[in-house]
Amino acid sequence: MSNLDSNYTRQRIYQLFLASMLVLPFGLMAYKLLGLGYPMANLIPAVSYHVDVSMQVTGHGDAINNATYLPVIDSRQRISNEVNYSPGFAFQIENEGRNRIARWQGESVEGVQNIVYSYDVQGRAVRYNIPERLKAPASYPPELNVYLKEEEGIQVSDPLIQQEIDKLYPEGTDLPLFEILVRAHRHLQDNFANRNFSGFTDALTALKLGEASCNGKGRLFVAMMRKLNIPARLVGGLVLEAGSKRTSHQWIEVYVNGHWVPFDTINDHFASLPAHYLTLYYGDKVLFRHTANVNYQYFFKMTKRLVPQPEAEAALAGSVLNLVNIYSIFEQVGISQNLLKIILMIPLGALIVVIFRNVIGLETFGTFLPALIAAAARETGLLWGMIGFVVIILLSAAVRRMLDWMQLLHSPKMAIMLTTVVIVMLLMTVAGVNAGLFELAHMTLFPIAILAITSERFAIIQEEQGFQKAMRMMMTTIVVIAAAYWVMDSLFLQSLILAFPELLLFVIGLNLWLGKWVGLRVSEFIRFRKLIFTERKQGENVSA
Amino acid sequence: MKTFLRNWKIWRDNMLQVLSMNQRNLRYVYPFNPRRHFPIADNKLLAKTVLAEHDVPVPATYYSYQYFFELRTLEQDLTRLESFVIKPARGRAGGGIIVIDHREGDEWVSVGGTRYDIDALRKHMSDIVFGIHSFSLADEAIVEAKVEPHAFMREYSPLGLADIRVILHQHAPVMAMMRVPTQASDGKANIHQGAIGVGIDMTNGITTHAMHQGRPVETHPDTGVALLHQQIPFWSELLQYSRQAAEIVPLKYLGVDIVLSSSGPMILEVNARPGIEIQNANLAGMRPVLEHIQHGIAGDRS
Repeated sequence: MSNLDSNYTRQRIYQLFLASMLVLPFGLMAYKLLGLGYPMANLIPAVSYHVDVSMQVTGHGDAINNATYLPVIDSRQRISNEVNYSPGFAFQIENEGRNRIARWQGESVEGVQNIVYSYDVQGRAVRYNIPERLKAPASYPPELNVYLKEEEGIQVSDPLIQQEIDKLYPEGTDLPLFEILVRAHRHLQDNFANRNFSGFTDALTALKLGEASCNGKGRLFVAMMRKLNIPARLVGGLVLEAGSKRTSHQWIEVYVNGHWVPFDTINDHFASLPAHYLTLYYGDKVLFRHTANVNYQYFFKMTKRLVPQPEAEAALAGSVLNLVNIYSIFEQVGISQNLLKIILMIPLGALIVVIFRNVIGLETFGTFLPALIAAAARETGLLWGMIGFVVIILLSAAVRRMLDWMQLLHSPKMAIMLTTVVIVMLLMTVAGVNAGLFELAHMTLFPIAILAITSERFAIIQEEQGFQKAMRMMMTTIVVIAAAYWVMDSLFLQSLILAFPELLLFVIGLNLWLGKWVGLRVSEFIRFRKLIFTERKQGENVSA
Repeated sequence: MKTFLRNWKIWRDNMLQVLSMNQRNLRYVYPFNPRRHFPIADNKLLAKTVLAEHDVPVPATYYSYQYFFELRTLEQDLTRLESFVIKPARGRAGGGIIVIDHREGDEWVSVGGTRYDIDALRKHMSDIVFGIHSFSLADEAIVEAKVEPHAFMREYSPLGLADIRVILHQHAPVMAMMRVPTQASDGKANIHQGAIGVGIDMTNGITTHAMHQGRPVETHPDTGVALLHQQIPFWSELLQYSRQAAEIVPLKYLGVDIVLSSSGPMILEVNARPGIEIQNANLAGMRPVLEHIQHGIAGDRS
């Protein structure tokens, strides 16, 4: 057929492909959402904390006992993957009312011994609405009496407590519960400064000092509530945040209308608790109990993660047309889930590279190098991945310049480059492990051949266009790697593709569309700014 | 607000005149420059041979060496010459070029003052044949006549040989610019390495604007020579030769690089992917002319 006819056919087929790549995926998605009832909301990943409780004792041949509270199991916090590591110690879990106690017993413990207990936490925030006119009941079921009694440190019957109550409620205490609680909470939150006292502060001390730590304020609040004949108790726990720490936290709960409602007068949570508060025990307890004189040390190490919601996985695994089944099969067989995630997300990474190249106009060292580096950086994390990448490229490019100067044949030169890259990576791994930067050790996953080729490109550009131009391209490459990483690492997008793999067809559709896009790149607006941003229209330069 | 809208419209109209990289590739390079015709753009020797066959002026090729055994006669060959240029047929970005100005005893002296004896030159030619300057593809070494610049060029561009890049589409010239070496560009006529891009009025060959490293200039930063409003000699011949080249070469979106020698214009090489920076040198977009050409051709067809 003639050129014109073949052009026409080409265009029609292109349009057909484009249309189907847009309609098909969304049609399938719609069918899944509406027809099969996929739970869209559950696709959004949830925050999970991995907690390692590290305890260390030093023994001299005697028996050593250690005990701590494990997180309570209730509807607000989902605890999973509990793992105990305590070689040389007998381990058991006891139930003490609602509390769980872990006990370790070691006979003739010699030297420094570590005990590590790990678990994953997925918490939910709670908020209670206290009816405004609700009044405290006259009496309570007998099992709540223990929460009205005086305890050591909670000096309910002390006249000073009564004095404080009279100050707070001058009109008398026959008020709605809500009003009582608001005033007490605000009084302790606003008029008592937060202080980081380590150790035990009883209610009276807190009152006299006008400032206290979490346990001091907690005890005072509880004392006041109990004096008002309202059951209240201390709650011990941990504020979850990424990093390591030694301080636990305490807040209180007040019994209102059949519920234990939480209050925190340090971080101002009124009748509510955020998702990252982990409850460890109820009551005025000590978090760690151990044999004396064992040089006891402990700390909490917490890592924040995003995890797929189990409800989503459960719902999707039963259905067809998605990859969640494959996901769990991978898990069972022992293949790293990361592999599947990387495979799924590379098309998105490539799309990001295409957008940065053809729409924004940032030049990078290789067409898909940034996506591959971003995939490899999954194990090292973005920061160390970037640092490792830059170090390897600069060092290898320097070696390349030297090899150029020696004037070698091309293939052996490339082989030397490859070997150089491997050597640099090994050096970085060793240095990283020795310096405690374990993320750096994962550099070995980086695609070696790609790095060697990139080093060569860097060296060529450095030679032909100068070091500055080469460094500028290095910078733009890093920007694109970061963008690709951010997209590929998004748990939400990963969950989305697992549930709706047909979205990959949509990615193809986008690329088809970009394949015909002839607009100006963002960088060209800057490059040709003198032609575009003028006061008058450009004259035309028509020649014969 | 009204001024903003007016400006917006002006800017949009201007934007539509600029040929973007995406558009150059999709609308011009891919359809009009099929890959199978790239060799004539990649291989300078092939280009010169084809053009010379059609009586288009090119620097005379004295010798070419494709195999190592051909280098046996190198000393005899070069001794006959006073000045010459050694260049790789498939070299990139001017790499591997040696310009010899004269002979002194047993040695040849380059325009930059470097001295080469026969062994040094033989080594250099071997490197070229080996492919060191051409992405490791085995290459040919060309020994060609050294171009004597026209008097106008000697004054306009004393720091190195300037060339004129003409872009043609379907045999019609679209835009042209002169590339003038500077100290920053190390004597090379390469815009990205710091040469000056000078826009040229296609109708008469008079220089219009000049850009150096992204900034407009009126005089040469190193020599102080006035760059604008200069008449390029042999302009109509230059355009004619470029048209001829466009007709001969099967690439229909073509960049032709021409030098102005004392005996007239000569074509150095042709380019299958001419850059779009020429628009900055001319302070005008290429699209109006390109689309005019397309319409003209389409109109002829009807």
